[in-house]
Amino acid sequence: MILSFETWHITVFSLSVGLASTLLILPFGIAMAWLFARKEWPLKSVVETIVLLPLVMPPVSTGLILLKIFGRRSPFGQWLYDRGVEIVFNWKGVLIAMAVMSFPLLVRSVRTSFSEVNPRFEQIAATLGASSLRIFFVITIPLAYKGIIAGALLAFSRALGEFGATILLAGNIPGKTQTLSLAIYSFVQLGKDSAAYTLLGITVALAFLFVWCSEWLLRSAKKT
Amino acid sequence: MLLRCQIPLPHFDLDVDVAFDARVASIFGPSGSGKTTLLDAIAGLRDITAGEIEIDGSTLFSSARGINRTPRERGIGYVPQEGALFPHLSVRKNILFGAGRSADISRSKSISVEHVVNVLEIGSLLDRPVTKLSGGEAQRVALARAILSQPRLLLLDEPLASLDIGLKEKILPYLARVRDEFRIPMIYVTHNLTEVLTLADWVLMIRQGRLVTQGVPKEALRSMHAIMQLPEDQFENVFTVTFVESDPEAGRTKVRLQAGQELFIPYLPRPGNDTIQIRISADDILVAIKRPEGISAGNVLPGTVRRIDAIDGQAMVTVSAGDDFYARLTASAVKRLGLVEETPVFLIMKTRSFRSL
Repeated sequence: MILSFETWHITVFSLSVGLASTLLILPFGIAMAWLFARKEWPLKSVVETIVLLPLVMPPVSTGLILLKIFGRRSPFGQWLYDRGVEIVFNWKGVLIAMAVMSFPLLVRSVRTSFSEVNPRFEQIAATLGASSLRIFFVITIPLAYKGIIAGALLAFSRALGEFGATILLAGNIPGKTQTLSLAIYSFVQLGKDSAAYTLLGITVALAFLFVWCSEWLLRSAKKT
Repeated sequence: MLLRCQIPLPHFDLDVDVAFDARVASIFGPSGSGKTTLLDAIAGLRDITAGEIEIDGSTLFSSARGINRTPRERGIGYVPQEGALFPHLSVRKNILFGAGRSADISRSKSISVEHVVNVLEIGSLLDRPVTKLSGGEAQRVALARAILSQPRLLLLDEPLASLDIGLKEKILPYLARVRDEFRIPMIYVTHNLTEVLTLADWVLMIRQGRLVTQGVPKEALRSMHAIMQLPEDQFENVFTVTFVESDPEAGRTKVRLQAGQELFIPYLPRPGNDTIQIRISADDILVAIKRPEGISAGNVLPGTVRRIDAIDGQAMVTVSAGDDFYARLTASAVKRLGLVEETPVFLIMKTRSFRSL
């Protein structure tokens, strides 16, 4: 099957912004997951709930909140604009929407894999003189890495599927902010069914691949 | 070493207040008595409500003075019950994990990797993944890892508990070698009496979070409190003896007690070290008031009853026959023989009732 330039462009754009979003949230997600799994601190449950909120809120509502935060009429949006950074209605908006929407999935998945690491290993490493940083990078991360990769894959898939928040924050501008999901919606609206089905095929294939990989990783992580 | 700590636990409070000076101090008590909690507290892995921990004059914890050094700063090598070898690292990386710690914070002379590897005989295991080790090998590797972190104190939590009997007998000598070669003070948690008598020079007996008794193992364990808590099969006599001669044809080996008496034990080839430890259960010693004749037992020692501790129809009879022997008899036997302190008696022990370590 030969894909049209438009289809290629949409696919590559979605994959690259999705990848950028996943890489962007990875360090924060890992840090937050670790704080949730290993530390007790005041208001932890409140922060946990806020982080997980985009998972259950209608994505459009999340999008609206983001628009209010990053729109040029908000103080923060204005501040960014004064520094030459515009989020709304361009690829950065897509990135932010994807990042916010996939963050909770990443945190949840990584938190679980951290909790499955026996804290005894970390404790013994401490008695052997290791610093917290060394324990984290030499013991915790290597023991949890499969869960971390699985979480990243899951976040990546979620980013690719993002629709509601993206359309509010970045719009649905062909060639500029149009992702796979947004394009499918547009094509169906415009009656371009065959183009829509091609994209549908791509999304199903990608989703299948990612979920399959992530499940495989989680299963093999449990075994070891 | 000073150890004073209070820790609330779900079913009782751990409340211990002891000071001792020992090469190997054993914490002895039944499962669930708070032994592991105590080790965790010493290592700094668990919060202490109130108390003080001091080793070699340096304070690791003091609630009164607001001192609480982190596990990292304490310089304590901990071998937990499950070993807790890092599963993603090879044996070599495991044992070297703590080796970077500078020796000067805790010890004057650092212990070399080579020395530890030789003493514990783990040279052939170094490149193996730890997931491919047997239980006994894993314990030795965990021990090596703790020793190589140059600790000022070693904590061993039931290192033999997960091993079967045959393997226990093999690992016990390694522990004795660690004690003698590296001169690191040890705290050894166990619920096995043989291990206490073999390795320790001080015993703290705890139950339900409280100290029941403490002292030199042989003395402390004889006390009433101690006897009452001992599992049926666990009261053993342990002696350090000198090898005299071996006769494979006769199937026996002659050894000499420190006080000079000679005993026959099952045949063993001449050991590298002339001093060995042997043991016999208190239930396997017969007591007679006349010298027996025409019996198969290879050992008949004259002695004098020094003390009788009777509880619940049982009596622990201490007989001085050069060394002290403990024989556990029924109250009825004590009565039939008319045993009292100073009664002259003969101890009858089958050669094959002795075991060597």
